[in-house]
Formats: sequence, C-alpha cells, structure tokens
Amino acid sequence: MRYAKDTATIGPAGAGRSKANGHRCDGGRLLISLQVLAVLICGSAFAAAPIASEPAINAAQTHQHHAGHRIQFDASGMVMNSNSSELPRGCSAISRDHEFEVSAGTEFATRYPGSTYAMSQHEYTVEPCSRVTVTFINTDEVRHQWMVHGLPRYLYPQGMFHLEAAGGARQTGTFIVPSDNRTYLVHCDIPQHMEKGMKGQLIVGSGSGDLWAVPGISRAFNSDDYLATYSFLVLALAVAVGMLSTLWLLWR
Amino acid sequence: MSRRSWVLSIAILSALLCYPADWYPNSWRLAVAQWLGPDGYRSLPLAAVDSPDAAATDTEEAEPPCPPDPARWREAKQIDGVMIRRSLNCVPDNPFAVAAFVRGTNNVSQQTLLKSGLAPDAVVKGRDLDGDGDPDEIHIRLEVVELNGGSPEAQVPVTQFAIAPGITPGFWVFAPKTTGMATENFESNNARAILRVPSPVIRIEQGDRVQITLENAHYLPHTIHFHGVDHPFLDANGEGNDGVPITSEKPVLPGRARTYEMQPRQTGTMFYHCHVQAHVHVMMGLQGMFIVEANRPDNWLQTLNIGAGHVRVPSVASRESFDREYDLHYMDIDLELNQLIQQHNDPRVINEWLHQRYNVTQATADLFVLNGRSFPYTFRESLVITRPDERIKLRIANGGMNPIALHTHGHKVTITHYDGVEAQPAARVTRDVVWIATAQRLDLELETTNDGLHSYGSGVWLLHDHQGRGITNDGIGPGGNVSAIVYEEYLGEDGWPKMFGMKWNRFFDERYYLGALSVFEDERFAPAQNDGWRLLQLAGLFVALGVIAGTALSMLRQRLLKANR
Repeated sequence: MRYAKDTATIGPAGAGRSKANGHRCDGGRLLISLQVLAVLICGSAFAAAPIASEPAINAAQTHQHHAGHRIQFDASGMVMNSNSSELPRGCSAISRDHEFEVSAGTEFATRYPGSTYAMSQHEYTVEPCSRVTVTFINTDEVRHQWMVHGLPRYLYPQGMFHLEAAGGARQTGTFIVPSDNRTYLVHCDIPQHMEKGMKGQLIVGSGSGDLWAVPGISRAFNSDDYLATYSFLVLALAVAVGMLSTLWLLWR
Repeated sequence: MSRRSWVLSIAILSALLCYPADWYPNSWRLAVAQWLGPDGYRSLPLAAVDSPDAAATDTEEAEPPCPPDPARWREAKQIDGVMIRRSLNCVPDNPFAVAAFVRGTNNVSQQTLLKSGLAPDAVVKGRDLDGDGDPDEIHIRLEVVELNGGSPEAQVPVTQFAIAPGITPGFWVFAPKTTGMATENFESNNARAILRVPSPVIRIEQGDRVQITLENAHYLPHTIHFHGVDHPFLDANGEGNDGVPITSEKPVLPGRARTYEMQPRQTGTMFYHCHVQAHVHVMMGLQGMFIVEANRPDNWLQTLNIGAGHVRVPSVASRESFDREYDLHYMDIDLELNQLIQQHNDPRVINEWLHQRYNVTQATADLFVLNGRSFPYTFRESLVITRPDERIKLRIANGGMNPIALHTHGHKVTITHYDGVEAQPAARVTRDVVWIATAQRLDLELETTNDGLHSYGSGVWLLHDHQGRGITNDGIGPGGNVSAIVYEEYLGEDGWPKMFGMKWNRFFDERYYLGALSVFEDERFAPAQNDGWRLLQLAGLFVALGVIAGTALSMLRQRLLKANR
C-alpha cells in the first residue's frame, strides 16, 4: 500500500502519520530540532516585538541550509523547500500557475462541529506539473503550518514542502508538483492540530482518491457514537420486541 | 419457502443493512476504502441547543453568590457592652449570639438572648475567681443535633444544611443549647444559622473552671472526649471524665446528660470529639476545635465561635500580637457513610448500618469542607480577609480522615504551634505548603508584608488543600476546601471579592456538581447532541437480532417436540 505509506492517512494501519514508519523518524526529529532552533534564535525577537501589535512579514530575511532543506526562517515563521523553477522528472515545462490564499485558525473550525482548528480551504486541485504558490495566513495567536508530504525527494528533502506562520503572521512559498495524478496530504503538524481539523488534501490531476477525515470532504475513520445514556435501554427493548414478536408469529 | 425461512432471511438482511459500517473489522474497511475511497463527509452533531449549559449561561438559574444581609449582621456593633468587630465576609455570625457568648447567656438582656436564639443556660458565666476582671467559671451546654437527616415522610433531607449548592450529606454536630425551632421558620426546611457544621469552636481561658454538659438530644449514644485539653481522668465525684466509653464511662444515652469538668493549665489549639464508635461518630461531624487562651486581665472571651471562621471578639492575648484571628476547621466526608442516616429511619437499622455494616477501612472521602462548607460557599464565610502589613493568626484543625497539604497562594506562612504547643523560635519554619495530619492542629502566622516572601502583595489569593481530591466536590472541581486570602482593596461592599476570572454562575447552579454542566463557559465545549439516527439504526439491528433469536428458539422447540413424538 504505497499510497497509504506515503500520504499516511488512509486509516489506523498507517496511524494517520507517516512518521510512525522508521525511515520517516529522522524527518520528524529533524523537524523538531529545527523548531527548537528557530525558537531559540527567534526568542529575543518575539520578546521585543509582540505578535499582536506588529504582525511579522514574510520569513525571507534568513536563508539557511540544514540537512539538505532549503529553509528561510525568522520570528514570523518558516518557508521550507520553496521551489519555483526546478522541474520534477516527467515535466517538460510548468503547465500553469496556481495561487492560493489560505487562512488558518480556530475561527474556521466553527464550520465543522467537533473540530478545534481548521483552514479556510481544505482541498486544493491543481494540474500536474503546475507551479503552486500558497500564501498562508495565521489568524490565531499560536503557530500553524501548511505542510505537504510525499513530494519527490530529489527536489524536496524528506519529500516535504512546508510553510509555518507564527501567530498573526503570513508566509508565502512556491513549489512545483510532479506529473502523476495523486492526492497529497496537507496538514498542520503541531500535535493534535491535524487530528482536530487542520487536515487538507492537494489533488494533482485526477488525484488518487480522497483522504480520510478531511473536514467537509470525508468522514473520520474512528468516530464517537454520540449515543444518549439511555440508549442501552432502547436497544434491550429492541431485542425483546424482535424476539417476542417472532415467537408470537412462529410458536405453533 | 416456509414462513420461518422468510422471517429468517428478512431478519438477516435487515441486520446486515442496519449493521453500522464502522463496526466491520478495520482491515475490511480499509480494503473497501481502497476501491471506493473514504466515507463522505457528514457533519458531527452540533452542540445541544437545549442543554443545561445553554440554560446556565442564559437564564441565570443560579442562586446569588452573596446573599443580602437585611439584618445588618456584618456591621461592627456594640451589644450589651460587647464591642463586636465588623465581619467582612459576606455571611457573618449572628452578632447577638456573639455578644451572648462573650457576656454569658445569663448576663445579657432578654432581647439579645431572643435574637441570639440561645437557651438562657447555653453559656453560663460565673464568678471571677482570680480577681482580674473576667469570669472564670464557665458552664457550656451542648446538644447533639442531626442535620440533613432522614424522615419517614419527607422526600428530601430534613433540617437542611447545604455545604455547597445542592449538596446535603447527613451530619451530627454538637450545637449550643438553643430554644425554639430548628429551622429558619415554619415553612422552611433549612436549619437556623446557629445549627450548622462544624461543631462550634470552644474558647476558654487558661485556669478557668470549665463545665461542659452534653445533653444528648439525639437517638444514639454519644460522649465528648477533650483531645489535647488538660482534664482529669475522673471528675470530683469519681466519675469518668475522659469521654471514652470503653475505659472511663458509659456512653450518654438518648435523652440523658453528663457534665465534664476541667481546669486547663496549658494554652493552645486543641480538639474535642465524640468517642463512641469514634471511627464513625467523628466522621459524622461530632468534632470541634477547643482553644485555651492565655490568662489576661479583663479577658472576656467569645466562648463559642459558631461555624468557626472569623473571630469577631478576639482574646486579649490575640489582640496583643495579631490584627485578626481566624479559626479554620477542615473535614472530609465519605458520602457512603453520611448518606446512611438519610436512607434509614429506624434507629436500630441506622445503628446496624453505621456500626456493623459500614466499613471505614474501605472509606474514600468524597467531600472536603472548610468550616462546614465547600467551595463556592467557602467564599461566603471563610475568606481570610486582611490588609497589607498585618499579622493574622490562623488556627487550623484537620478533623478529616486524610491529611491536608494546605497551600497559600501568594504567601508563605510560619508555623508557630504544633498541637497547641509553641515551637521554639529557632525551630519555626516558613513555608507555602503545610502538611496537617488527621486530628492535628497548627497555629500559623500570616504576615501580609509585601516583601516577596511573606506576601507578594494585594490580591485574591487562593488557600486550599493541594491534593487534587481536596479541591473537588465529589470529583467535580472547583470545589472542596478552596478558600482565599483576600485583601480589603479587592473586597466589595457586600463582602464578595472582586475577581477577574470566569463567571461563577455555574458554580452556584446545583446541576454543576451533578456533572451536568460543562466546566467551561466557552460554547465550543458545550456537550454534543445525541445522534438519534445512529440509535435508530442500532435499534433496527437489535430488533433483527431479536427476530433471529426468536426464530432459533421456535426451531429448537419444534425439534424437541419432534423428538418427543
């Protein structure tokens, strides 16, 4: 199930998260260490310029290369593995340009009962070999991410493209999608943000099917029952009704 | 096809149709999803619009946090020559009862006595034996009173004393001898203010000749044991005086009385409690603080402090060193025990349940009270109110079965006395978590000097047991013995603190402590609606299963009939 492993969200077998697989663990640790690094470096900047009073601008000031990732980051967040010119194999030219402006925060979760975090858009449909520019606007006061997994590793280290916006900040990044029809996972990787609603899908061409538990698109694989506390009485009664009526019908 | 086959096929088909898709094994579901993709989006249930939560926030069904004080009991007063300090807490002690406890019920005007509700011989003060201007012969009469008890007719506990909204466990307490009705009035089922938990704090002077008469107005035998108070094992007549029915005397039977005698030589914060089946009777509430104050001239003591808390007439020694004094009596309650007296009415049955069936070794505490109340009622009457740069004396007793880790927000307190005995100055410790064993008493000195150590400045600073259970009402928080140290600048005119946190209306709504309300006011956490369609689907499945079972039974019966033939 290559699909499940790469996009990691088809159900409990992949536990929803590809990081559970061994070869992805490094990526996870790397991400965490990067986040720690970013927090350390940016700590003083946060203290000096409160987010609410002075929204940060795009994270274009600092360019870094770390473990093969192309990273731009500052106090306003991070753009990782931006690529606006290198073509994936199988693409002879950029087919077209797509631009998306996505807002993310608790306010969008009110559309989806039972969620806490959500985005203004959870599904993005693009042409194969197209260039996708995403502007990601965080309307909360905590970090959010717009992260794509499963891109070709020869262009995107760890197969990922990643925007991270600090509270109140916006980030813009560009990447070029491959030529095959496939559905990619888009999510926020802060613990429980995807599970509580920040999950989307990027459909390239005709895609490869929907993912589970995308708000507004598909249902959760595991869901609560929402049964009233008296339900067991109703069900006991149901069994009795079924049994007694049958006995009455057939007892002869 | 026979009728039975038809019924069976339809039933199996219905069962398959009604079987919830998400109940199939995950591997099957994943295999199907490989073809068909995931199930389409269906909105999860909305928040229940008619939930109690909506009511709690919209209709304000809750009682007011701070009830009015029409009789103006909170104000400073002079009654029968007794200067009674202003009570800053929202719900104060009856100042007329305070005056009667200071002068003696035999020395106050008829009017004061009537307003106090006390019997004329409740606290009798006699001669000044040492000639220093205050009486040294004190005779206190205590009755045993049941609160929130059972009844052969009422559907609710009678002579009610709610420790928190809607929470009325059964109690037995020692109460000062009163006259008249036990309830507020003829229509009311609420106990009068003077009949309450905990048993009153007794305050006498070192060297006083004290007589305490137990008038057992209850339906079971009781005694009083004076724990830590200097008293002889036998009284002057050679009769038992220790209150222990297995060693010193027979228990005082219902309708009988006994007088205990003592002349304590040592000062300190002590304790008194019933010693009949002590593992049960002490937990039922037959316990109180007993304070022996240092001998001083003109030391007219407030002999009883009803419901503990703020001492409106502190002793001379207390006034020498402290700006204010508070008695804090902590208890915990096992509902399994304290409900027994509500579930039965025949004293023989109650006796059997309490003393033969109830097993205290399996007890778990469910409720945690400070001065007889749990949060939020603690904020009405047990706030430690202060101003900056004051010295406050806190006398603490733990009458519960569990120890307490008392934590003071914003302050570090100094332990000056253990079990009534003064600690050497070099041995005193200053800390913000004070561990108090069962039956232990600690005297604490609270300094409100804003030096970053003793106090971090003005505010509304919580004061509570730091063990999780202690800050809940039967597991629902905030509750338990949570109180606060409140600076006067943060106190409203009515005695309710000015606070900046969440709304309190749900804490004053009975449904909150039944677990029926979300603990947050934010609508996002309101309960979700029930899924009626899911229940209908499952009901269909269960009917079909019943039909299948019924068919199987009828087949079995036919087999047996055939075999018999």
